[in-house]
Amino acid sequence: MIANLVVGGLAAGCLYAMVGIAIVIVLNITDIANFAQGEMAMLATFFAYWLMDGVGLPWWQAVSLAILFGLVQGIVVQQVVIRPLIGGPVLSAIIATLGLNIVLNSVAGLIWGHQTFTFPSPFAFSPPFLIGGVPVSVDSVVNIAVGLVIIVGMTLFLRFTWTGLGLRAASQNQTVARLMGVSITRSSAMAWGLGGLVGAVAGILAAPSLFLDTNLMSALLIKAFAGGVLGGLNSLIGVFLGCLTLGIAENLAGAYVSPSFADAITFIVIIAVLIMRPEGIFGRVRVRKA
Amino acid sequence: MTAVADINRVAKPLKSRSGAAILVGLCFLLACAAPLGLNGYGLYLVTLTGIFALVALGLNLLTGYAGQISLCHASLFGVGAYATALLTQKAGFSYLVALLVGALFTTAIGAIAAVPALRLKNIYLAIATLGFGVVLQKIIFEWRSLTGGGGGLALNAPSIAGYEIDATGLYYLTLAFLTVGLIGAWNVSRGRTGRALLVIRESEIAAGSLGIHAARYKVTVFAISAFYAAIAGGLFAYLVRYINPESFSVGLSISFLSMVVIGGLGTIGGSVVGAIFYVIVPELLRGIKDAPGLVFGLLLVVVMVFMPQGLWGMLRRLARRS
Repeated sequence: MIANLVVGGLAAGCLYAMVGIAIVIVLNITDIANFAQGEMAMLATFFAYWLMDGVGLPWWQAVSLAILFGLVQGIVVQQVVIRPLIGGPVLSAIIATLGLNIVLNSVAGLIWGHQTFTFPSPFAFSPPFLIGGVPVSVDSVVNIAVGLVIIVGMTLFLRFTWTGLGLRAASQNQTVARLMGVSITRSSAMAWGLGGLVGAVAGILAAPSLFLDTNLMSALLIKAFAGGVLGGLNSLIGVFLGCLTLGIAENLAGAYVSPSFADAITFIVIIAVLIMRPEGIFGRVRVRKA
Repeated sequence: MTAVADINRVAKPLKSRSGAAILVGLCFLLACAAPLGLNGYGLYLVTLTGIFALVALGLNLLTGYAGQISLCHASLFGVGAYATALLTQKAGFSYLVALLVGALFTTAIGAIAAVPALRLKNIYLAIATLGFGVVLQKIIFEWRSLTGGGGGLALNAPSIAGYEIDATGLYYLTLAFLTVGLIGAWNVSRGRTGRALLVIRESEIAAGSLGIHAARYKVTVFAISAFYAAIAGGLFAYLVRYINPESFSVGLSISFLSMVVIGGLGTIGGSVVGAIFYVIVPELLRGIKDAPGLVFGLLLVVVMVFMPQGLWGMLRRLARRS
């Protein structure tokens, strides 16, 4: 019983984690909490659906193109909306992403309407794995694997390439990074591109189990923020583990305490954890002078 | 903008003080005369604007001056609405008394919401307050015997001292509270508290070294902004005459925050302008077929991209130039 609940929680937590990673890449480098991340991912997922259903491409090609679309979308959003706001108040940029969120949602509504679509998955008909007698769906295993691959890839990229080093420098101190020849606008564009890319992956992985409509990501977005905060926003692995923990905690609270209070209990736990560890469970405490 | 510039601006009297006074007076007269030229729906919209402006005023003290993000204001607004409604309908209080008692109750809850703020910042604080809001909303929803749960609560017309209050009366009541609220926020922001809040926003360590008790001021400003939200909630309950826990969701909290930012962080007038933008613009767009959300979202983006200091900041710059 409890093992089933944990596995179910992991599956949900993985979806939170994907969105969480996309948010954190942008947040760490540009300080902007991207409220449009969910709708950007939703749009990329719809694009993939259109490629398959309308154009007739096979799954792999459609998904690859959609992920590329996510990357380009992130860069375009950064150039048009965020770039003029670099150096301005952070909250203004956040509200701008909120406006973008509304825009993208209505655009998708205008193009595809508000009905629900079934998004195909190549793993839909595979039999579930049995781990210690507990059935684990192939979807969740794929989600966890993809999440880990993204984290490892991002970590290697940020640690061992010059571009990654520049990005990390920009996230720590923009003035000094600029003095060292790192272009702030370019690293911000790159962060948004990467965020858009990971977001597209998240949308494509979430769509088969949540069904595709214009509100696909709205529930995931807040949960992703909450999970990220719980784990600590300054490390990717912290965000990943935080989101998984959130998924499991929700499932357990729903089953053992009260189904209607599951959300509330989860948030009480998050608040309690944050009061004790303000930087999240896995977050490093950064010493600040100012 | 640095704290020093802000404090200088606050300390220096406006050059064209008489001009500003005349403008404020004109706005007030216009607001007083508004019911004469409006139909029922128009009156509802201006009253709603006034109510949202009250919430935005309180939230601006918290977010604009003290730099603390809150995403639980919709729930505080809801607690104020439910407290007022229950006190009048079930306990038989008079409307004004219920408003004040309900607001004091909500103020206490707002002070509790400040507890996470003592250690958290930015996005962490946003999520913690969001969680607090979800918990409050859930309590209202599940406490069915008291609040009616998801079925909501339908309300009779309110009365003060035996006189039943109609839509026009409620409008003037809102206007009165808004006027008092504006004067109150103006005084708080220009006084000792306002200066302390500005320093806390820039650096808590600097505030501490100046002898400013950051924790105490944070709790105070959370409580003040909860008071504003609760009064607005009490007015809102009787404006719509039907309240439901679903109306006080995270989405509304985010809207309140947007109002403050669109109007202008750390400005009193900006709160009112932001509320006007948020209520009136979607109404004007209602005629456009299919795409009110699209245009409103675009406007939101455009306003932020071209006026990062908000509409009020823009107006002030124009006024200074002329």
